[in-house]
Parts: sequence; structure tokens; C-alpha cells
Amino acid sequence: MRTPEPDASTPPSARRRVVSAQLLLLVVLLAASSICALSLGTPRVPPHLLPGALLDGDTTLAGLVVGELRVPRLVLALIAGTCLGAAGLVLQEALRNPLAVPEMLGVSSGAALGVAAPLVLSLSLPAVVQPLLAIGGAALGGGLTLLAAGLGRGPSAVLLTGAAVAAALQAALLVLMVMADQLDLQLIYRYLLGSLSARTWDDVTGLWPWLLLSVPALVLCAPVLSVLRLGDEDARALGVRARRARLAALAIAVVLIAPVTAVCGPVAWVGFLAPHLARRFAPAAGAVRWLPWSAAWGAAVVAVADVPARLALAPVETPAGAWTALLGVPAGVALLRSGRRGSGGGRAGGGPAVGRRAVGGRAAGGPAGAPSVSAVRPGGTPAPGPRSTEGAR
Amino acid sequence: MSRRLALLAVLAVLCAGAELVAGRGMAPGAVWDVLAGGGDATERHILLQLRVPRLLVSLGAGACLAVAGLVLQSALRNPLAGPEVTGVTPGAVLGAVTATGLGLAGWDSPLAVVVAACAGGCTGAALLWLLAGRGGGDPASTAVHGVLVSAVLGGLTAMVLLVAPGELGSVVQWLIGTTEGRVWQHWHLLWPWALAWGTAAWLLAGPLTLLRCGDDTALAAGLSVRRARTLALLCAVALTAGAVAAVGALGFVGLLAPHLAVAVLGADLRVTLPGAALVGAVVVGGADAAAQLFSRLPVPALDSGRLVLPVGALTACLGAVLLLIVVRRTPDRTF
Repeated sequence: MRTPEPDASTPPSARRRVVSAQLLLLVVLLAASSICALSLGTPRVPPHLLPGALLDGDTTLAGLVVGELRVPRLVLALIAGTCLGAAGLVLQEALRNPLAVPEMLGVSSGAALGVAAPLVLSLSLPAVVQPLLAIGGAALGGGLTLLAAGLGRGPSAVLLTGAAVAAALQAALLVLMVMADQLDLQLIYRYLLGSLSARTWDDVTGLWPWLLLSVPALVLCAPVLSVLRLGDEDARALGVRARRARLAALAIAVVLIAPVTAVCGPVAWVGFLAPHLARRFAPAAGAVRWLPWSAAWGAAVVAVADVPARLALAPVETPAGAWTALLGVPAGVALLRSGRRGSGGGRAGGGPAVGRRAVGGRAAGGPAGAPSVSAVRPGGTPAPGPRSTEGAR
Repeated sequence: MSRRLALLAVLAVLCAGAELVAGRGMAPGAVWDVLAGGGDATERHILLQLRVPRLLVSLGAGACLAVAGLVLQSALRNPLAGPEVTGVTPGAVLGAVTATGLGLAGWDSPLAVVVAACAGGCTGAALLWLLAGRGGGDPASTAVHGVLVSAVLGGLTAMVLLVAPGELGSVVQWLIGTTEGRVWQHWHLLWPWALAWGTAAWLLAGPLTLLRCGDDTALAAGLSVRRARTLALLCAVALTAGAVAAVGALGFVGLLAPHLAVAVLGADLRVTLPGAALVGAVVVGGADAAAQLFSRLPVPALDSGRLVLPVGALTACLGAVLLLIVVRRTPDRTF
């Protein structure tokens, strides 16, 4: 879809029109997917009967199905999407890299490993510990990647290092999968693809404490993100300690992603698509303005993907993560490419791909900073995991 | 140079020997008995019907993947182009899984699996071509796009697996890459395919060496660059598909082995291509032997009977380390 691309010089009315177009589209998508999610399926509950069914509660079959199965699932989809979308934007902005997504940094693989290991090794753990394990795994994956790559290096180097770390973690996961018996295998495989099926209110309530932790942090870090975008030197000139800010941003992203992964598995590539959608509609805005939009788009993406996941092959549930991967990657790449072409046409700063080449060039331009980065980090990187978990307790 | 090749060959034989004695269920001494013509029926069966074909399949698959990786890296002039990173391996897995899941192919019609894997591999490569653009100038961005293509293909594979969930148990082995339980049928399927396409790759060694020097040099030397590159890519896809159909997606061998081969033997592919085949055989054979040895270690915490280390996991770890080294050594400016 073609939307006018507002520049810094566009009149406010045009910008408002773009915002309202985005809002309209979002509301329509969310409403449509919510109605589909609540009313379609077996038994089919027509939309005008939904409020009645909800009020009936446990007394009728429709009320039971809607209230105890469909609503928690929808709520979970929305929360998961919000977290993933916000985390994706935080990661992309903090690393100044349009492709920095949890999947590419080893964060998702680490979290999945943390969840799958006790399942296969049949260690019985209390439910409270599970998100902690996922967080530990996610911090391990992300920390390893950044440790191996170095924070100051070019985007592609970080991503390839992330691919290597993810592959190593995946290998560990594969060993687990080979050890598992057939039943566990089905379970793990479904989990690994990111599925929302058979989640109840218990799963949703398990997420609240983490949200309480991460949302204020997110609000606090959002202004810093838009400064980080300018590059390390400029950020330092503005009084932001770039390295520490970046680590904090990563810790926040880990805390956002890990609980969601613990509950519904790595719903793939939402963190890739949502920020690009947000930027597409408001290319000139900053990180602060993108953050809520990105979160909202994440929610919309997961909610929309969950409808075909539940209904496409009706008796069999397909994992939502497979749908988001199938739809999200091509769409995200298309957005990235069209955005890059647009930003080549003279817009100075705001496009989705702030010129990956330019970013890489700037990172390469300061080689003096790189050795000191790797010298400092070994003490610093493990911090996000323990610190965040301490805070949660 | 020939001394180094001979050394590699000796290494390959050593790995093969290690793999023959490494498995469980049989004392190492019994292997010599059987080889000398003795041994009881069970031992003969274990060695001749299980271990030898497994050994041959792992060596052959390693050689295939290594040659495919070297051909890809040379044709695309990209040190990061292995079959895993360019979407060929995930595509081949998708093809094989789809053909099996839809009932178009099975173990009774093994050639169909290979052809399906081949078609899938071509699809993966074509997708990357579409995504990264025809220029494909920047090696790292091509590789990053390859990871994205792999994600899409992985999602599709998951869909197919969920449509035919009964296959999951046997197919997971395929996704991981393992030489567990490979028998003579697999070997009879693998070797003619590998031999044919390996010969084709070797015939292309001269043009590929020119391609490594850059398009301009190759053009100046009178090479039809486009045709040579297309043929080379076809070769690489076919070799990968053969290996995937036999042992599944062995992680990162196609990325790891060519780098080792070029480091040991230099960049003249007329020598290095056979060398890469040997290196690949050594890597996979050695990894398989190590995996079997590791599986024999008693693990007190778990019930040790269940711990089977797939080769794919081992090679993936090795390859991940190598990928890290390659990325770190490549100057940042090219990214």
C-alpha cells in the first residue's frame, strides 16, 4: 500500500492523516481478528451472541468455550505480540540494525533451550521457575552473541555471529530432541514453533509480574533509544553512556521476550515485522513514537496469525509461529527493501534502514573503540540476566 | 602438494578405522576377528550390515557436502556461502519432507526423495537469488538473507510435518542430520549420485578457479562466466540434495570443510576439490566416531541408554565456532 511519506517538512495535517490511517488499519485488523478468534471454530458463536455468551459464563457450552478457552487465548496472543513487537523495536534501535531480531541474536533459541531442557530431562520444577529458566537461556544466548561479536561491530557481523550462536544452541536442543521419546517430541516440536493452543488464564496471569517489571523500564528507556540511534559518539556528546544504555536496552528486551517464550514458545519473526510496519507508516518519527506503534502492530500480527493457526487445517492446530514466519519474513524483507529504496532518494535520517552501509561504516570508522569494548564487556554482559531476575524476586 | 593429499587420505582412513571400532554393542577386539574372517553371526551382522554401510554413508555425505560448499563459495566468491547459509540445505530438507509427507516418495522409492530434495534445494537457492538481488555483491548481506530464507523454509517444513504428524519421529532425524541406522540401501542410493555430480564438479574445477579470481579475470581468460556459474550452482545443489536425502541436514559441514581445505591445499581447485572431498569425509567420519564414543560414555545423571549424540549436533557446534572465526577475521569494512 502506498502511503505518503511525511518528511520533517510535511505539514502537521499530513502527518496526522498518516497517523490516523495507521490507527484505522490497526483497529480494523485487531477488531476483525478478535471477532474471528472469539466467534469462529466449534461451536460457532455469532458475534452478536458473544456478549451474552460471556455473561452466561460456565452455564452454557458456548459461554464455557468462549470464556475459558478463546478469550484467554486472544488475550495471550495480544500480550505476546505486544511484548515481542516492543522488544523487536528496542533491539533494532539499540543495535542500530534493522535486522537485529531475537531470532537472529540467539535470544529465542536460548529461551527455548531453557524451557525444553527440564521437559526432556524430566526434572520437575515449580511453575514459577520456568520463566526464570527461559530468561537465563535468553540472556545466555544474547550475551554470548554480543560477547562474541563485540558491540561496536557492523550489523552483519553481529547477525552472523548470532546465527552461529543460534546454531550452537540449536544443536544442544537437537540433542535433547533426539533423547526425547515420541510424546515429548511432539510436545517440544509444537512448543518450538510457537503455539498458542490450549493456553488458559493461568498462563496469562503468569505473565503479569514480568509485565509490571518491564513496562516501566520500557517507558524509561524509550527516550534513550532515540539518542542511541545517532551513533555512539553523538550519544556520548549528549551525555548518554552508550554502552551501558545499550546493555540496559538488551536486558529489557530479554525480560520482554523470555516470559512470552516460556509460555507460548518462540513465536518467530514478530519482532522483525512489527517495527518495520511501525516505521513504514511514520518514517520521520523517532523511537519514542515508534515504540507504542510497534507494540500495537506486534499484537495485531500475532492475533491475525493465530486465526489461520487455529482454523486453517481445522481439526489439527497449526502453530502460530509457523504462520508468523511464513508471512512475517517476506513482508518484513519487502518493507525493508522498499524503505531502503525510499531512503536512498534523499531523506536524511528516518527510514527503516538508516542505511545499513552507513551504520556499518560508522562502526568501522571507530576501530579504536572496539578493543576496549571487548576488554570491558566480560564483566558487564552477564549482568542483565542476574540483575533482572533479582529484580523480579 | 601430493604429500598433503596423501596425509589427508591417511587421516580419512584413520577416521574410518576409529569409526569402525567406536560403536557400542561390540568389543573393539571383536572387530579384528570379523575382519580376519572369524566372529560369530551377530558380530558379523553388526560389522558388515550396520557399521560398514554407516561408515561409507557418513564419508560419502561428508565428501558431497564439502565439495558442494567449495563449489558454492568459489562460484559466488563468498566465504560465507555454504549450502546451509544459502538456503540450499533447508530447501532440500523441505523437498524431501514434503515428498515423504505427501506420499509421493518413501523408502521404497528412494530416487524420488533425492529428486524432490534436489528440486527443494533449487527452490531455496532461487528464493535467495530473488531476495538478495542479482548483484549479490555483499557476502555478509547475502548470508543474512540466507538465514531469512532458511527461516521461511523452516516454517514451511513445520507446516508439512504438522499435516503429516505420524512422520515426525523418523523425520526429526532428518532435520538434525544423523548417520544412525544407515544401511546398504542408503549407500547404494548415495554413491552413483555423488560420483556423477562429483565428477561434474571436478570437471568444472578449472573454470571455478577462474571464477574465484573475479568475473573480469575470468572473462579476460575467455570463460563464459554465466554458464559456468549456473552449471556450478546446479552441481552444488545436486550434491547437497544427495547428501541431505542420505543423512539429513548435517550442520555446517559445507561451510566448515572448504575453509579447512583451502587453508591446507591452497586455492587451485583442481587439487583442492578432491582435497575438500577428503576433508569433508574426515570431518564427518571423525565427528561420527566422536559422537559414538561420546554416546558410550556412561552418564550417571541420566539413564545413559537414551543419550545418543547425533553427528549433526557435533558438526553444527564445530561449524558455529568456525563461522565465528570467519566473521571475526573478515575485516569489518566489507560488512
